[in-house]
Amino acid sequence: MRAHGSGRARRRFDRLIFLGPATLLLSMFFLAPVLVNLGIAFTDMGRNLRVTAFTTENVARVLSADQRLIGVMGTTLVYVLATLAFFNVGYGLILALTTTALPQRTGAFFRAVWLLPRMSPSVVYALLWTWVVAPTDYGLLNQALAGLGLPTIDLKSDAPMLVIVLANGFIGASFGMIIFTSAIRSIPEHLFHAARVDGAGELSIIRHVTLPAIRWQLSFVTLYQALSLLVSFEYIWLITDGGPFYDTTVWALYVYKRAFDNGQYAYGAALALVLVIIGIAVAMLLWRFFDMRALLQKPRIEVS
Amino acid sequence: MTATLATPLAEPVNDWARLAAKARSRRRTTNVLLYGFLALGALPILVPYLWLFTVAMSGRTGASTTVLWRTLAVLIPALFIWSMLRLGMEPGRRLRLIEIGLAIVAVALLVVLTGPYLHLDNWRFLWNPDIADALKGVSGIGAKFPSVWTAFWNSLFLAFVQMTIVVTVATLAGYYLSRFDFPGRSGYMKGLLVLHAFPAMTLIIPIFLIIYWIGLLDTLAGVILVIAALELPFAIFVMKGFFDAVPWDIEMSAMTDGASRRQAFRLVVLPQVRIGMLAIGIFAFLRGWEEYVFVRTLLLQKQNWTMSLYLFWMREDVMGTDYAMVSAMGVFYVLPSILLYAFTQKYLTQMTIGGIKG
Amino acid sequence: MAVIELNGVTKRWGDVVAVEPTDLRIENGEFVAILGPSGCGKSTTLFMLAGIYAPSAGQIRFDGAVVNEVEARDRNVGIVFQSYALYPNMTARANIHFPLRFKSVRPEEAARRVEAMAALVQVGELLDRRPSEMSGGQQQRVALARALVKEPGLLLLDEPLSNLDASLRLTMRGEIRRLQRRLGVTTILVTHDQIEATTMADRIICMSKGRIEQIGTADALYHHPDSVFVAGFIGSPPINLISGDAANGGLRVGEVGLPFVGAAPGKVTLGIRPEAVRLGEAGHAARIGDLEPHGRETIYHLDTPFGPLRALEAGAVARFRVGDQVKIDVERALVFDAGGRRLGDTIPPRPA
Repeated sequence: MRAHGSGRARRRFDRLIFLGPATLLLSMFFLAPVLVNLGIAFTDMGRNLRVTAFTTENVARVLSADQRLIGVMGTTLVYVLATLAFFNVGYGLILALTTTALPQRTGAFFRAVWLLPRMSPSVVYALLWTWVVAPTDYGLLNQALAGLGLPTIDLKSDAPMLVIVLANGFIGASFGMIIFTSAIRSIPEHLFHAARVDGAGELSIIRHVTLPAIRWQLSFVTLYQALSLLVSFEYIWLITDGGPFYDTTVWALYVYKRAFDNGQYAYGAALALVLVIIGIAVAMLLWRFFDMRALLQKPRIEVS
Repeated sequence: MTATLATPLAEPVNDWARLAAKARSRRRTTNVLLYGFLALGALPILVPYLWLFTVAMSGRTGASTTVLWRTLAVLIPALFIWSMLRLGMEPGRRLRLIEIGLAIVAVALLVVLTGPYLHLDNWRFLWNPDIADALKGVSGIGAKFPSVWTAFWNSLFLAFVQMTIVVTVATLAGYYLSRFDFPGRSGYMKGLLVLHAFPAMTLIIPIFLIIYWIGLLDTLAGVILVIAALELPFAIFVMKGFFDAVPWDIEMSAMTDGASRRQAFRLVVLPQVRIGMLAIGIFAFLRGWEEYVFVRTLLLQKQNWTMSLYLFWMREDVMGTDYAMVSAMGVFYVLPSILLYAFTQKYLTQMTIGGIKG
Repeated sequence: MAVIELNGVTKRWGDVVAVEPTDLRIENGEFVAILGPSGCGKSTTLFMLAGIYAPSAGQIRFDGAVVNEVEARDRNVGIVFQSYALYPNMTARANIHFPLRFKSVRPEEAARRVEAMAALVQVGELLDRRPSEMSGGQQQRVALARALVKEPGLLLLDEPLSNLDASLRLTMRGEIRRLQRRLGVTTILVTHDQIEATTMADRIICMSKGRIEQIGTADALYHHPDSVFVAGFIGSPPINLISGDAANGGLRVGEVGLPFVGAAPGKVTLGIRPEAVRLGEAGHAARIGDLEPHGRETIYHLDTPFGPLRALEAGAVARFRVGDQVKIDVERALVFDAGGRRLGDTIPPRPA
């Protein structure tokens, strides 16, 4: 017989083994950073990474929003809304609707094509885009235009926002596509049959059967992807580097450049604080209103 | 009331031949629109990848454009014919044979039309580690580039170790959260859920500082820990889901058979969740292999470069003028991702929420 | 509308044949049941009639015209699914109204039809509820109203009662039958429940493994089954099937020889309905192996010279006890050949 006390000790030891590593890693790189970010935002940390004084200067600078920051906000808003509306939700939905209307294998093929950019390393994907929009005759877009007898264009200089919306959108569309596809798949088939027998055409079926059934997923993807786009800067950084001038510098990229290029770590942290607060708010919102628990039960992988 | 129901509806339905014709044309229109839309939509994705591959295989001879358009001139009609076949024929042996025939013809045409232009010269960075110096000897600027194999092994190491950490830690935590009750369990779960949705990218400055403070800046270990930690909330939830699906009875009977709790976990429960471990492992590996932002931020020395940094700097550097070699490097980098994805796709596409970085 | 005809209609899924070439004719206003075990192709046949599945071969004709290619929405068919398939986001009113959206019906007229239809199936008070706020029976009625509101030429019912509890099923059987008579709509019911088929339909189509085994009235199917399958599928408690041999112008089953002309030498199967086994004072010697009191009737499990037999006897109280020696007499037996086709009937001789 084991003594009661040793049982408790063993339970504690179990918890340390099973939950300890996860807790440690999560505390180090999620919880601690939030606190550090909050702290640094109120210091004067610069390029030498030393804190010499505490100050509210940086936070005040963010709140007073100079001309540049207002421009960045505008750029961010345009970028997030356009990409979200046209690709992450809009095109994702269209892809889900069209590929589920095809035979299983064919639909899966087109979905796989759309997942390709997401599975490619970001540097390669960015390289492809740079070459697509390259202003020379060699640029893929210009090759195609030349084939149609049209003059060459320099999309990256003339319409940089379009380039980053497209580049991010081509990746973003697949998230919604996957979520919507599995949502559409889980609609009972009889509902579609009933609607067809009742006389509904394809568009009526989408409007009266499909869309009402995936309303929940639509809201989820919208919110979740809005947050994702708001904080993402990887592809913009790689493709336009925020340029020309500040034309495609979104908030998240601005944070990065202030901190790592200009060495203004404290100001960067103050800027990032805005994103962190929005991030926490939206994450809690997702959890509260969308019952993430139910959602997270689902990621089950079925062997097919 | 009966009278109301007996009133015939406005349109009498009896012109079956007209309705059949209408259905035929509607079906045809729908199919053309559907396939046309999806095929056109897939082009802007597929053509750039094809271009990358084309340049890698034929660049520096000035024939890349020729090769690309000839390839497209074969592939597009072939795909068109193939989709028409799929639409028009019943699946079966006959269709299979025609498909194989079509594939053979297409490949033969490709070989004839583009074969003469293809060469492996652009891949010389694979067997010539000093290629950068050779190129730069001409211009004489810039510091020494490491061998591409240094970057390759660094990336592989990073992806593999990171994957091992994620799978191990998430499996342990997932099991504990699924099976054990402890004070603060629901709080822990809620916290995890919030972390799962929280965009970690916003924390890059403090993460950089923490790595700097604990002395792991410019080490692969630092990057590995960071990426592993950021993957964890998702991985833990997937694993918890898998453990939840393993019936209690299995463990119970193992323990009545004399196994300890930990033995039951190792011998009986773990084999049941292999698929989940496999899936989060593949995800973690792909993530580690492709990582750019954190390696760019946390790694400085060239000897620590991963594939992403190597390709990035290669393009930025004088070598970037050699498009063909950059392409070959791009293909070399993207191929493992695509192959891994292609072979495991059926597991990955099933994982929905958060399973793909958004 | 509508005389429904199937000429060689076939459905294949890849290499699997779900429905073998099938010929069938259903008259205007008729109520027909397709009866068979699950997976026999009955629902597939129904879905082909609805236009949800396209036949792989053969022709479906409505009033003589081939409608193979006509889409479901144009076939003027109403259907009730096993799961009811009500649109979960719509109220009962919107559900019933839905088919009228796609017809040129004036709004007032449509609203009136919805009300009238709802009243007819007795869900007039529930019109503003959503499916999730209704019981199974209520959803079923709404689904029926939705199927009927556009006055279809053909009403298809796919296992409509199988999700209801027993007493509700009894009520709905009668109601659907009455409604069908009143509206005179050609109706096809798919079911695996023989009671449903026999009580509701004018004619029953019995299917097995994608083939029609027999078409006929409930009476014909019960008393004159064409095959062992039909004999075995219809009737509760099930028919006794005993194997025997045909030789020398007669049959031999167990210890008993039976007169029968027309069987080729070889294996045969004898089918004896439980109620055709009479327990009495004279006949073959038998022993009561077991008995099941069912209230109104009793089922005896007997050891007889034919082999083990089930016998059904009316009466609230069992006349015998387990182990009793009794005499039995068999009134009629069906004779099937080795392939399961019925050759004819025979009356087993009563021993002196």
